[in-house]
Amino acid sequence: MSRIHSGSAIFFSAIFALIGCSGNRSTSGGPAAGPVVGVSLLNLSNEFIVMLNRSMDQRARELGIHLIVNDAQRSAERQVQQVESFIAQKVDAIILNPCEVEASAPAVDKALAAGIPIVNVNSETRTAPTAFIGSRDEDAGRIAVEYIARRLGSGGNVVMMHGFMGQAAQIKRTQGAHEVLGQTPRLHLLAEQTAEWDRAKGMSLMENWIQSYGDRINAVFAQNDEMAMGALIAIEQAGRKGKIVVVGVDAIADALQAVRDGRLDATVFQDATGQGRAAVETAAKIIRHEPYEKQVLIPFQLVTRDNVARYLSPH
Amino acid sequence: MPCQADGTERSRSAALPSQGSDTPAPRAPGQRRKPWPAELTLAGALAILMAALSLLRPNFLNLANLVNLFRQISINGILAVGVTYVLLTGGVDLSLGSVVALSGVVAASFAHPHQTLPFVPVLLGIAAGAVCGAANGVIVTRGRVAPFIATLGMMTAARGLALLLSSGMPVSNLSASFTSMGGGSVFSVPVPILIFLAVAFLSWVLLTQMRIGRYIYAVGGNENAARASGLHVRSIKMAAYTLCGSLAGLAGVVLAARITTGQPNAGIGYELDAIAAVVIGGTSLNGGTGGVGGAILGALLIGTINNGLDLLNVSSYYQQVVKGLIIVGAVWLDRSKHRA
Repeated sequence: MSRIHSGSAIFFSAIFALIGCSGNRSTSGGPAAGPVVGVSLLNLSNEFIVMLNRSMDQRARELGIHLIVNDAQRSAERQVQQVESFIAQKVDAIILNPCEVEASAPAVDKALAAGIPIVNVNSETRTAPTAFIGSRDEDAGRIAVEYIARRLGSGGNVVMMHGFMGQAAQIKRTQGAHEVLGQTPRLHLLAEQTAEWDRAKGMSLMENWIQSYGDRINAVFAQNDEMAMGALIAIEQAGRKGKIVVVGVDAIADALQAVRDGRLDATVFQDATGQGRAAVETAAKIIRHEPYEKQVLIPFQLVTRDNVARYLSPH
Repeated sequence: MPCQADGTERSRSAALPSQGSDTPAPRAPGQRRKPWPAELTLAGALAILMAALSLLRPNFLNLANLVNLFRQISINGILAVGVTYVLLTGGVDLSLGSVVALSGVVAASFAHPHQTLPFVPVLLGIAAGAVCGAANGVIVTRGRVAPFIATLGMMTAARGLALLLSSGMPVSNLSASFTSMGGGSVFSVPVPILIFLAVAFLSWVLLTQMRIGRYIYAVGGNENAARASGLHVRSIKMAAYTLCGSLAGLAGVVLAARITTGQPNAGIGYELDAIAAVVIGGTSLNGGTGGVGGAILGALLIGTINNGLDLLNVSSYYQQVVKGLIIVGAVWLDRSKHRA
C-alpha cells in the first residue's frame, strides 16, 4: 500500500513541477498595468489558430495590452464558460474566435449584456458582436475555382474535397465554389467528398478517386491545404503530376513551400496575422473610446508560383 | 492483496455480457475453444462485399486498386495487430491515436534532410510509442487503474506532448530516405504493406508459436488461474502494453512518412477503428480469445468499406451510416454463429 502512495506522490509532484515550468506562456507576466483583454480561441492545436494567436500576442505587447488567452478546444460550451469567467474577472474587452455559429452565440449575448465589448475574429456568430474581423470564406471557394477555370481553359472535370461537414468554413467554401461552377458550364464537378480537413484522409480519398476516374480528373479543389497536400502526394505517387491542377486554401507553410517548388499549383492565403493584429487593434480602439470600424474584412489572396515569395518570408 | 488487484479488472468485465472464464458460463462454452473459426464467417462476409463491389465498379478488383486498398489499411492494420495483444489480456488501449501523433512528431523532428540515417527517426518514433505503452502498463499493473481510465489519460497526455513538441505546427521538410518508408516500394510492393505484413507475421508467430503468446491468452482467459499456476501476470501485461505502444509508434512513423509530415493532430479516432477491426475479427473484449488473423480480416473489411464507398461516390453522410451498420452487422453475424 505505502508503495502505491509513494508512487502517486511522485506522480503528483511531477505534475506540479510541470505546471510550474509551463505557466504564463502567452502574456508578458507581472501585474497588469494596461487594459486586460480576454481571448477565447477555437482550437490551439490548429496551425492557423496558432498563427492567429501569435500575431495577437505580438500586437498586444506593442500596444501595452495584457491578454488572457484561453483555448476552447473546439467546444462551444467550453467557450461560453471561458467568456463567463472573463466577465466575472471584469476584463476590459473580449476577443472571441467562435467555435460555432449558433452554439457560441450565447458567449456574445452574455458579454454584451454585461456591457463588455466583444470582437469576433475569423468566424461569425448568430448574434452580432461589437465588431467583426475576418474574411469571407465564400471568397476562398470562388477564388480557387476561378483559378481552376483559368488553368483548364477549354474546360474539364473537377473533384472537390470538403472539410468537416457542417462547419461554417466547409459550408461557405462550398457555396463559393458551387457559385463559380454554376456560372462556368465548361467545368464539370465529377465527384465531391469529405476528407475532414485531414492530410491522411485527403491522400486516401485521392487514391480512390484516381482508381475510380483515372485520366478523367483534370483538377482538384481541396477546401484546405492539408487535404490538398494529401491529394498532391497521392497524385505524385500515381505518376500523374503535371496532369492534374491542385488548389488548396489557407497558405500553410508546407503548402507555400510546395507552391514555390512547383508541386502545388495554388493556394488561397487567409491572412491570420492580419486578422489577429486587426482584432487587437479594434479591441484597443474600443477600450480607448476611439472611432473603430464595425466590420474589418481581410481579403483572401490567390498564391501561385508568381507571387509566392511575398508570403514565404514572414513565417 | 492479489484479490484487490483483481477487483478493478473483474468489475470492468462484469459490466460487459457473459464469459469471465472463472465464473462458469455454460451458455457459451464455445467462446473458450472456438469450434467455428470466426475468421471463416468474416472471410465469407468480406468475399460477398468484395464481389458486390466489383459488380458495381469493375475496377474495384483490379490489381492497382487492391494494392491501393492494402496500402490504405496498413496503418490501421498495424494498430489493430498491436491492440490485439492488449485486448487478449482483457485490457484496452484508447491512447493509440494520440501515440501515433506523438511518435510521428518525434520521428519527423529527427528526419530533416541533412539527417542521412533513416533508422534514427524510425527507432526514436518507435521508442516514443514504447515508452507510452510501458507507462500504460505501469499504471495498469502497478497503479491498479482500470485500463480504460489509464489509457484514456494517456490519450490526452500524449496528444498534449505531441502539440508541445511541435508547438502546434506540423513538422515538415523531411528527408527523402525517411519519406520513402511511406511512399516507396520494394519490387513494386509499397513499403507500408511490407511493414504491415511483417508485423502481422511476427505477431502471429509470437502469439501462436511462442510461450509468451500462450501466457497472454492465459492471463486474458482467467487471470486468477494464470496467477495460481505461477505466471507473472504483471510482467505479461507489461509486455502486452509495451508491444502495443511500440506498434502504435511504428504506425505513427509510417503515417508521418506517408503524409510527409509529423502532424500533432494526426490519428484522431484511430484507436476506435483499430479496436473495431480486432473485435470484428472475433477477439473478445473480455480477453482470452481471438488473434491476429481476425484483426487483419477486420482491418480489411473496414478498409474495403472505406475504399468501396469512395469508389461508388456515396455521399459522406450516408458513408458514416453504412459504415456503422456494416461494422455492427459483421459482429452480429459472427456472434449468432457462435450461439448456434
